[in-house]
Amino acid sequence: MSGADVEARLREPWSDLETDDATAFARQRDGATFGIWVFLASEVLFFGALFLTYTAARLANQEAFAAAGRETNIIYGTLNTAILLTSSLTMAVASQAAEKGLFRRLTLGCLAATAALGLAFLVVKGFEYREDIEKHLVPGAHFALSQAPAQIFFGFYWLVTVVHAIHLSIGIALVTRLTIKGWRDADFLKENPQVEVTALYWHLVDVVWIFLYPMLYLPGRSG
Amino acid sequence: MSAETESSSTETPGTLWLRNLWVWTALMALLAFSAWAAYWPYGRIDTAVGFGIAGAKTALVALVFMRLKHASGLVRVVAACGLFWAAILFTLTLADVLSRMVNR
Repeated sequence: MSGADVEARLREPWSDLETDDATAFARQRDGATFGIWVFLASEVLFFGALFLTYTAARLANQEAFAAAGRETNIIYGTLNTAILLTSSLTMAVASQAAEKGLFRRLTLGCLAATAALGLAFLVVKGFEYREDIEKHLVPGAHFALSQAPAQIFFGFYWLVTVVHAIHLSIGIALVTRLTIKGWRDADFLKENPQVEVTALYWHLVDVVWIFLYPMLYLPGRSG
Repeated sequence: MSAETESSSTETPGTLWLRNLWVWTALMALLAFSAWAAYWPYGRIDTAVGFGIAGAKTALVALVFMRLKHASGLVRVVAACGLFWAAILFTLTLADVLSRMVNR
């Protein structure tokens, strides 16, 4: 590996450390992984607080939450869960392929597939939002259900799905950025910790949805 | 670590996919199972199964896709911290909410 090549692939401040290349790369990767995990832990608390609000409201209004849960579209919800879980597979393969620096085409293909699956999720969610609005499931004067606490459920539904969609949109932008930069520059993705950092963020957004699925789509189905 | 270095020399796109595809298959099976279990006529058990499966799916994603299984101790501590503080948040709040429900 030539000196200029190492300089280009070791981002600041790691190139100034007086160590051998392997140690510098390992430290760069460890620092990036550690940093994103600290952010993800704070995201766990952010969504944890929202989930706790839901839990307390559901415990106090169990029948209304079951009636409200029956109104969400389980087909769209299950389809979107499958789409996000599949996007996590392509993201994991992209990250592992980039880390070894072996398969550039596989990495690029998987990154593009991940962004496309993220967009597919948003499209399905858009159709679902349209149906929800047509069914008067927006809390307010013309709300469809008679039980008042069902509005708490849908207040939570709109808040948390929009917050999740914003997170996913940021993820799509980050993955698209990696795809474009990796496509233009053949060496960009190879051993680049940015791929791992983006992947970890993407997986967290998936995990948030994994918990939203039983919260929003599964209550009240048997009754 | 040395085993991983050795395996990377013989790695093909096929082995890379195979290593991750079983997790995806398990995730899809769990998703189908939780959608089916929601229609069981058992009330609270359905809810417990739904959230139990969400926990199992999260464990698969975190350990394999997010590679906590092979992560350094420091990274594992950070990940555990998120869960630990969330657990405090849930425990203290639900102790209040549930005790009020029981004594109502």
